Amino acid sequence: MRTRLTLLIASCFTALPTVAADPPVRLNVKPLLCVLDKNASSCVVSFDIRWQSTVSGEYCLNDEAQAAPLRCWPSALSGEHRQERLVTQEFIFWLSPPAGTTRVAEAKIEVLRVGSTDRRRERRSRHVWDVL
Amino acid sequence: MKITNLRYLAVLAAAWAMSPLANAQSTQADDATSVPAALPATEVPNAPRVIPGEKSWRLGIGLGYGQRTNPLIQSEDIPVVVDLDIAWFGERWFFDNFDLGFTLMDHSRFTANVVARLNSDRAFFGKTNTRYVNFSLTAGGAQEPLPASPGTPGTGASFDQPVELKIPDRDYAVELGLEMLLDGEWGEATLRAFHDVSGTHEGYEISADYSYRWIRGRFSIAPSVGVAYKSAALSDYYWGVHADEVLPTLQGYEVDAGVGWQAGLRASYYVTKSMRIALSANYERLQHSITQSPIVAEPDVIGYFAGLAWQF
Repeated sequence: MRTRLTLLIASCFTALPTVAADPPVRLNVKPLLCVLDKNASSCVVSFDIRWQSTVSGEYCLNDEAQAAPLRCWPSALSGEHRQERLVTQEFIFWLSPPAGTTRVAEAKIEVLRVGSTDRRRERRSRHVWDVL
Repeated sequence: MKITNLRYLAVLAAAWAMSPLANAQSTQADDATSVPAALPATEVPNAPRVIPGEKSWRLGIGLGYGQRTNPLIQSEDIPVVVDLDIAWFGERWFFDNFDLGFTLMDHSRFTANVVARLNSDRAFFGKTNTRYVNFSLTAGGAQEPLPASPGTPGTGASFDQPVELKIPDRDYAVELGLEMLLDGEWGEATLRAFHDVSGTHEGYEISADYSYRWIRGRFSIAPSVGVAYKSAALSDYYWGVHADEVLPTLQGYEVDAGVGWQAGLRASYYVTKSMRIALSANYERLQHSITQSPIVAEPDVIGYFAGLAWQF
């Protein structure tokens, strides 16, 4: 019984690498969220951008707002970049080979507007004992 | 719950009749003060993306731990483990966590609604216990049952038997009223006036609340203060001890009208667009006459909650 169970567990793990394999390039961006109050239209964010690759190569960091790459790293396995940016709507940072349109990794920056654009909803505060 | 009064329906019908006027006023206000749903990013060369309109439904859930103290004698505090947020907003009608409303006016500076709601004082009466009290007379070191006096109100039973001490039952009341919601750079304010339309307490309540929200990075914090005047009829129905409720263990008491106040603080840390860590604390001071009632043990209500909240 124990042998059968062990075999079953082992077979599960042997199947894992093909399913949950690490991507060759990983892009980490912090923060991923811009929180706006109802009267605010933008927030200034200093993004901490880090990437790592299992394959050495030339990678360029792109911002949806810029036609040209923000920065390129020649023959590197990892890189770091800090970017201060005005955020008004959702956009994407991505890594690509130079002069290529292929996105090898990307990170979406989201914008959350606290409250509602419907004035009635925004103005209706909940009851004193509601916690949300 | 007794819902015998048709005034509730009459006022809602009147609100419905006024809807064309409300629509006209609102359209003008919207045109004059509309805020762009999606401001194009100046640095993004792509065409601006339009933020999709809000859904009519708003669903949220908070999971965590908290409680609200119960000011009644021999009562239990009210645990808060789950907090649901269920709302639907149509063009004029809305349902907002058991408030049913109709928007009369919606201007850039204020919104006026007619709203039907359930009275919140009733909630405390759902968490009470019954106790039995023995009366005895101690004299000269000896303890004897207290003899019943003729005409003692209540059970009429002899005092040598345990006597029930029970918080009187109270009904939910349906209240109908007007609310004025105001906001600006200075914060948000709410003015409300509600009257019982269910024939339960026949009283009314007038309240004013103010809050201000700050957002720094992913943190949001919103302190609030408020005052509420409750009429004698409302206060006495819920918090008084009426003539037919007097027991050997519970003396009669009539509650007067008065003003109570509350202060609160809500804080959030937005983890993702739909999930946040929520903290909430609230202090509510009951009006003086209520605090003197024999069924009231504490003069205030303290509430708190900490947990995770999701908005769908």
